[in-house]
Amino acid sequence: MIDFIQMVVSGVAVGSSYALMGLAMVIIYKTSEVPNFAQGEMALISSFFAMMLLTSFNLSIYLAFFITFVFAVLLGCFLEFAILRRAKEPNVLGMIVITIGIEMVLLGFVSWKFGAEQKTMPFPIGPYEGIIFGDIFISKLDLLTLVTALVLMSVLYLFFRYSKLGLAMKATQQNSVAAQIVGVRTNRILMLTWGISSLVGAVAGLLISPTIMHPYMMWDPLLKGFAAAVMGGMTSLPGAVIAAYMLGIIENLFGGYISIEFKTVVAFVIIVAVLCIKPSGLFARHYVKKV
Amino acid sequence: MKKGLMLALFVSLAFLLSVVPTVCAEEGVTDTEIHIGQWGPQTGPAAAWGSVARGTGAYFQWINDNGGIHGRKIVYHMFDDGYNPAKTKAGVKELQEGTGIFAWASGVGTTPGLAVRDYLAKKNVPWIGPSAGSLHWVNPPQKNLFAVYPLYAGEAKALVKYAIEKMGKKRVAIAYLNDEYGKNGLRGAQAELKAHGLKPAVEVSFEAKDSDLQPHVMKIRKSNADMVLLWTTVPQAAKVVGMCKAMKFDTQFMSTSTCSDFPLMTYITKGAWEGVICATFGESPDSGHPGIEKYKTEVFDKYAPKEERWGLFYYAGILFVEPMIEGLKMTGRDLTRENFISAMEQIKGFKGIGPEVNFKPYNKNDMYSRQGTNQTFLVKCLAGGKAEKLTEWMDME
Repeated sequence: MIDFIQMVVSGVAVGSSYALMGLAMVIIYKTSEVPNFAQGEMALISSFFAMMLLTSFNLSIYLAFFITFVFAVLLGCFLEFAILRRAKEPNVLGMIVITIGIEMVLLGFVSWKFGAEQKTMPFPIGPYEGIIFGDIFISKLDLLTLVTALVLMSVLYLFFRYSKLGLAMKATQQNSVAAQIVGVRTNRILMLTWGISSLVGAVAGLLISPTIMHPYMMWDPLLKGFAAAVMGGMTSLPGAVIAAYMLGIIENLFGGYISIEFKTVVAFVIIVAVLCIKPSGLFARHYVKKV
Repeated sequence: MKKGLMLALFVSLAFLLSVVPTVCAEEGVTDTEIHIGQWGPQTGPAAAWGSVARGTGAYFQWINDNGGIHGRKIVYHMFDDGYNPAKTKAGVKELQEGTGIFAWASGVGTTPGLAVRDYLAKKNVPWIGPSAGSLHWVNPPQKNLFAVYPLYAGEAKALVKYAIEKMGKKRVAIAYLNDEYGKNGLRGAQAELKAHGLKPAVEVSFEAKDSDLQPHVMKIRKSNADMVLLWTTVPQAAKVVGMCKAMKFDTQFMSTSTCSDFPLMTYITKGAWEGVICATFGESPDSGHPGIEKYKTEVFDKYAPKEERWGLFYYAGILFVEPMIEGLKMTGRDLTRENFISAMEQIKGFKGIGPEVNFKPYNKNDMYSRQGTNQTFLVKCLAGGKAEKLTEWMDME
C-alpha cells in the first residue's frame, strides 16, 4: 500500500511539470489553433538566460527571475510578431512547421551560446531536499512545482473567463473576423498570447533547472505536456492540468507494476487511444463554428 | 611518323606521371600531411562528451606546432554526429570517400561506432581508440581496429569484485541504460556476481530519454541493496544518487568511467556524488601526474577556448589517441596503412596518461591482439569533487 501511495504522490509530483508545459501549449492553441512545438525551447532559452543573470551578472535570484519573466514575455511576443505574423497565407500545417523551425533555431542557439555540458541552477530549494511523511517521500521542489501549477491554472482560468483581455483572446480563436469587427485587435491579442504562453513555459523551465540543465532538458516535459494537452482537449486549461496529473500517475503505476521499460511510451499510447475514442479530448467542450 | 610517336610518348608519360603518385601514395597521406578524422557529439543528448573530440584536436595542434610527425602535419577532420548513428555513418562515408582519410581517431559512443565499424573494416582503414569500452570492437577482433578504452564489462567486474571482497557487500542492484553501453556493464556485473555465487538484488533498466526517475528509484530502494551499480547516462546517475540520498536510502553507489568526472558530478548533484566509487581509465585532474600536468599547461592552456573545462573527458581525447601517435612515430616516413598497422602491433608496454597499452600481431582468436588494455583503477569521490585512489592500476579479468 505504501508503494502505491508513493507512486501516486510521485506521479502527481512529476505531473506538475507536465501540467505547466501543457498549460503553455493550451494558451496558444486556444487563440490560434496552432500546437506550438517551440514551447520547450522557448522555456529552455529563458532558463539559460536566468542562469546567465545569476552566474555571470551575479544578480539576486528574485531580480534574475523577474528579468527572466520579462524576457520570456518579450521573446514570445517577438516570435509571434517577427516570424509567425510574417507567414503568407498561413494554414495550421504551415504554422506547425514554422514552430518546429523556431524550435531548432533556439535549440542550436542555446547549445552554441551556453555549451552542452550539464549544469544546475542555484535555487533557494535544493532539488534533493525532501519531506518524508511516514514512508512517503516528496521533494520540496516538486511540492513547489505542484503549488505553482495549480495557482497558475487558477489565475489563467479566471483570466480567460472574466477579464476583458481573456475574453478577447477567446473571441479571436472562435471567430477572428467577428472579433475584428467588434474592435478586437486580433494581431495584438495573438502576440500577447504568445507572450503569456512563453511566460508559463519559462516558469516550468525555471522549476526544472535546479535539478539539471542541458540543451535537451525540455524535450521530455514538452512531449508529456503536449500529451496532457491533447488528453485534456487542447482548449481546456483545467483539462490539461488534470490530464497531466493523470498521465504522471498512470506512468508511475505502469512503471511500478507492469513494465519500467515501456513506461515512457504510455503517454503516447494514451494520446492514440484518446484521439481514437474521443478526439476532442477528455475535458474540452469544443466551440462549433457556424457557417 | 616521328612526330606521332613523340606525341604518343608524351601522352603516355603524362598519364604515368598522373597515375604513379596515386598508386604509390596512401589515401589521406601526402608529403606534408596526414589526414585523420573523428566524429563527436557537439550537439544532442550526449554533447557533454563532445569534449573528447575537442581534446584530440588540441593535442594534434600541439603535435603540429612541435614539428609534426616525420615531417608531416596532421590535418584533423572532426564532425558533429549528434550521437546519431545515421549521421555518423553519413559523415564518415563523406569524409572517407570525398576527402580521403588515412585513419580514424577515437569517436564517442558504442552505437555510433557500431554504425561504421564494418564499413571501416571492409576498407581496412585504421581506427584507433574508440571512445567506448564495448566488447563489440574486439570480439571478434578486427585487423584495422585498435581499442584503448578499458572494457565496460571489465570495469563492472572490477567494481562488483571490490564491493564484495573489500567492502563485504552482498545485495547488488544494477541500474543500466537499455542499450549496448548499459548491457555491457550489466553482463560484466552479472558474471562477477555469479562467480561469487550471488544474484543481482534487482536489475532496473533506463531509457536514454527517461527524465522522471521516481519509479526506477523506488525499485532500487525496495530491493534494499547495499550496493547500487549505475550504468546510465550522466544526468540519470546524478538524479538517482540525489533522489536516493534525499529518501534517506543509505547505500554504496558505484559507477562506470563515464561518470568518473568527479568535479562535474559533484557540481550537478550539488555534492551528493561524494562517496561514490567509480572505475576509471585516466588519472584524475588533481592527481599531480606529470603527463596530466604537461598536457594541462602545454595543450589545454594554449589551445582550448576559454569556455572549455579541463576535465577527464577533455584529456580523454588525448589519452585515447596517444598510442596512435606512438604508432605513427614508429611507422616512420614510409606511411602506409599496412606499415602503420604493423607498427601498432609492435606497441608494447606503452604508458601515457592512461592504462598500459599492449597490442599483438592480429589473431582472430585472441581479442587482446586488438584490445590494448585490460587495466582500470577505482577512485572514490571526496568533498569538492576531489578523488581518492582506492586501488592502483589493476588487471581486469
